[in-house]
Amino acid sequence: MKHSLHVKTIIFNTVKKQKGLSVAIVLAVAGAVVAALLPPLILARIVDGITAGKEVSVPFILLYFVLLALTGFLEAAREGLLTVFGQKMTHALRSSLMEKFVRLTADNVNHQEPGTLVSRFVGDVDTVENLFTSGIISMFADACKIISILAVIWFQNRGLTFVLLVLLPFLFWFTRHVQKNMLAAQIENRRAVGRASGHVPETLHNIRTIHCLAKESYMEERYDTYIGQSYQAMERTNFYDAIYSPIILILNAIVVAVVMLLSASGNKNILTLFGMSAGTAVAVINYISQIFTPVESLGMEIQTIQSAVAGIHRINEFFALEERKENGDRAEETGMQAEKSANEATGSDVLPFVEFQDVTFGYDAHAVLQHLSFSVMDGDQVTLAGRTGAGKSTILRLLLGLYEPQAGAVLIHGVPAVAIPNEERRRLFGYVEQSFHMVPGTVRDQITLYDPAISDEAVQMAARLTGLDEAIHALEKGYDTICTPELFSQGQWQLLSIARAAAANPRMLLLDEITANLDAETEKAVLDALERVAHHRTVISISHRMSARMGRVISVEAS
Amino acid sequence: MKDKMFQSDRVLSYFRAEWKVLLAVTISGLIYNVGLLAGPWFEGRMTGYLVDVLKGAGTFSGMLLLVAGYAVTITIVQSSRYIKRFYVRRFANNVNRRMKQILYGSLVHKSRASLREEGEGDVMTKAILDVDDCAEGMRKFTTEIFDTGVALAAYIGMLLWYDWRLALFCLIFPPISYVTAEKMKKVIQRTGAAYKKQSGALSAATLDRAKNAITYRVFGCEKERQAAYEEQLTAYEKSAVKANIWNTVLPPVYKVISMTGVLFILYFGQKNVLGTGWSAWDIAAFTTFLSCFLKLSVKSSSAAKLFNAVHKAQVSWKRIKPLLVPGEEADQAVSRNRYQKMLKSEGEAALHLRHVTFAYPNGAPILKDISFSAKPGQIIGITGAVACGKSTLGKVFLCEYPYEGEICLGDTELRELSMQERCEAIGYLGHDPELFNDSIENNVLLGEKKDAEPYLKAVCIDTEVNTMPDGRQTLVGNGGVRLSGGQAQRLALARTLCHPRPVMILDDPFSALDKKTEAEIFSNLRQMAGDAVILLISHRLYLFPQMDQVVWMEDGGITVAPHETLVKEVPEYEAMFAAQEGGAGYEA
Repeated sequence: MKHSLHVKTIIFNTVKKQKGLSVAIVLAVAGAVVAALLPPLILARIVDGITAGKEVSVPFILLYFVLLALTGFLEAAREGLLTVFGQKMTHALRSSLMEKFVRLTADNVNHQEPGTLVSRFVGDVDTVENLFTSGIISMFADACKIISILAVIWFQNRGLTFVLLVLLPFLFWFTRHVQKNMLAAQIENRRAVGRASGHVPETLHNIRTIHCLAKESYMEERYDTYIGQSYQAMERTNFYDAIYSPIILILNAIVVAVVMLLSASGNKNILTLFGMSAGTAVAVINYISQIFTPVESLGMEIQTIQSAVAGIHRINEFFALEERKENGDRAEETGMQAEKSANEATGSDVLPFVEFQDVTFGYDAHAVLQHLSFSVMDGDQVTLAGRTGAGKSTILRLLLGLYEPQAGAVLIHGVPAVAIPNEERRRLFGYVEQSFHMVPGTVRDQITLYDPAISDEAVQMAARLTGLDEAIHALEKGYDTICTPELFSQGQWQLLSIARAAAANPRMLLLDEITANLDAETEKAVLDALERVAHHRTVISISHRMSARMGRVISVEAS
Repeated sequence: MKDKMFQSDRVLSYFRAEWKVLLAVTISGLIYNVGLLAGPWFEGRMTGYLVDVLKGAGTFSGMLLLVAGYAVTITIVQSSRYIKRFYVRRFANNVNRRMKQILYGSLVHKSRASLREEGEGDVMTKAILDVDDCAEGMRKFTTEIFDTGVALAAYIGMLLWYDWRLALFCLIFPPISYVTAEKMKKVIQRTGAAYKKQSGALSAATLDRAKNAITYRVFGCEKERQAAYEEQLTAYEKSAVKANIWNTVLPPVYKVISMTGVLFILYFGQKNVLGTGWSAWDIAAFTTFLSCFLKLSVKSSSAAKLFNAVHKAQVSWKRIKPLLVPGEEADQAVSRNRYQKMLKSEGEAALHLRHVTFAYPNGAPILKDISFSAKPGQIIGITGAVACGKSTLGKVFLCEYPYEGEICLGDTELRELSMQERCEAIGYLGHDPELFNDSIENNVLLGEKKDAEPYLKAVCIDTEVNTMPDGRQTLVGNGGVRLSGGQAQRLALARTLCHPRPVMILDDPFSALDKKTEAEIFSNLRQMAGDAVILLISHRLYLFPQMDQVVWMEDGGITVAPHETLVKEVPEYEAMFAAQEGGAGYEA
């Protein structure tokens, strides 16, 4: 299966899938543009009628209102449909992002900063949504509006069209100028606000030092400086914000004034261009104020589109990250390997549980492991020893199939470690690290990791084995207690970590420095629990402390 | 605070303090809002005059006068608007800044225990966020008094003046639109809250996937988590559509409702012009009335926004108000005097601990009956097995919790000093370097007017700092993340040396350093410390032979002796020392 994900293809697919919705949006957009044009025309007829001393019929008045209402309703429909569409789009985008995330190599996963990833999934996708809800489509609508108003004015007051054609580019330039400056000031402001709001948690964190060194007023001054910086940036935004619409409205008034003056000039040449009736005058005043609004929105839309483009760029970057090979892709390869291994293994009777065959591996150019070979048989209990940085944890990562060796082979019962299907992993390995990784949810969820295949009995069994059962029962809601970092002590978390590893009754335990962060007494409790769990299982452990109680030692040397 | 009348917990005080800005707002606001009527009026007159001109009754110069008047008036009105908008925002900024200053000022003076353990830190952090809402609400309130209040009144007055019966008819509709909006508010709030919750859940789910990705992968749970995420997305989509659809669909509908009045204006208005209606109108009056009404209905649709903002501001004000109550400021001059006297009387202040016993609130005793003394200029090493209470002994000097027994600096008991005085007497550096997100230099000086160089030199970090691209101005990042553990530790030590105190407690200041650097820094420390008493808590004993005395802690009790004696008399100490001297492999 070839996966080439791209924001463009996802958008295109969504449009294809939501045909009805897409057509309805087009209709609503077009309808709203046309409907908005008509009311002023009718108003002009009404005013002219009154000026001529004729009474306007009620249906005609009603028509005016109906068209006004129709514009409103069509606009409402457009906005509503766009909202639905935008959400469909973001859903599709996020699904694809998650699909991609699952397929990333472990190396890439480790390089993703959680905060950045969230902003990619949430923030950047939202900018793409804005592209639809308040970007290109409303931009299109606004452009249509401007053009159609100009067209109508052309028939009403030709001269005004020229005036507007001269004025609009300037207006647009002015709008963009103001918006750009505002954006710059806002970014500056956001930075300053960030500094100021970061100052508060920092104060809380460092409060001891602040008190000890009597730095209270120093800190207050700094806080005030940060606020002052944001204040200055904000003042700039305020300036542009405050000046923009007065200028637009003054321009609006000047245009109206000029048109009025010229149409009252009495000069024939001018009147061919600017001559109009009272009704037209009312309509023209109406149109002029209508044409200024879309210009302003046009500027905002350009901004939205710009930030969406940046968002799309970042999402596409994410989509371009390297993927691990699909387990399915490997089926063949695996079959061959297994056969080969089986052939090789004919010499001995059983395949070892774990076999490293002349493995070389490094995360970048620097090789961590070089030509490493060893094997661990079923039921063996082994300790990996060596200095920090010698690659002990790397061995476990290779074994877990997170990484592929650059040369040689890492085999689990003769099958390459990376080819072990997901479903089998948990039955094979139980992995315990230096510290516990809490997942959001209840105590039970910590143990099952939301795996429905693990029964309540298995959960309790695992907890009992680690000696944590009692502590959990003592909680108000037992296994259904929502976990918070304060719920357990560090030692208890580590026991929970062992319970998580043991829950699926795996054949092998992989232990990475599991007592490194514990004091001596807790360490003993954890090791005791471990001894119960490790009974009848294959164990590979890493320990700096030479007091590790079990097994054969394989020493790993830094290359 | 200069202003004696200023009461930080009264909203009015903030308005009063900004009276100059508010005066500018009031004057420009009145001009703007009353001037708004000029637009429709002039537009009507111009149209009317155009009819006259076309009939031959008006002249070009008459029109010129009218047009010029129109342009000038609009310019004045809009300039006032600019002034009003700008100063209203300045007012909000000033209030915002002042409130934050007050809140932060009281936060920074609160004790660590109340901030970190009793949750006051969170309360204050939230309160500071609330200030934004509150100031924003005050701004909107001030703006809308003019924009909605004055402007609506002016428009309504004008409509009534032209034709009160017609005005009453068409004014039925904007309130209907407003009431509908009010009724719909519940739905919007409910769906909005649900949406907010879902969006929080989505972020949390994403963060979970990002943070625990490897865990899920190792345990083969990724597919299930992906399916769960998909469910999350579907729920999010539903709630987002529900919430946003109301927000986007309703405003045009409200506009239509309030525009319904136009029907009446057109029907009865033309009668007025034709002379068969309630009032006698010319075409100018007709146009003015119409455009006045259109402006009014647009304005009234924003009234709902005003009430929301004010309501939000009230809620946040209620939350921050109790925190703004002015506290009693300690009379610093007096306490400083007392402290100076104390130092003088001591001459050379020796440190005495007599029968000190300590337990955390509701905890078992950690320190039991500890007594020892230190003379000025002495460096005392404190050590013991893991969890023997040595760090706790250091923290007792901070008086964050009450202890039993006596800790005396000369003749003065520590707990009798004010917080300020104690801080002048005791320096403390804990495990956490507590660096600030600022430059290296500022982290050492923290505002002192000194040269940072000697302190950086003393902790052997000067050459490293000089090789950094920005030298001493290099930013250390949040909590010092851009530094290595050893660098952060040394920087914190430099900071402590820059703020010398008669007694300095250093808890494991060398744990991340190699032996050679440790020895070098130690000799600098001895030189710089002068007459100060230094208590050096450590689990590494290389330097302990150089200590003036060693305190060995075990089960909360202590043995005090010079290093040589301890080696002979306490086998555990001897073993620990020997293990470190001999086995280089201990360094984990």
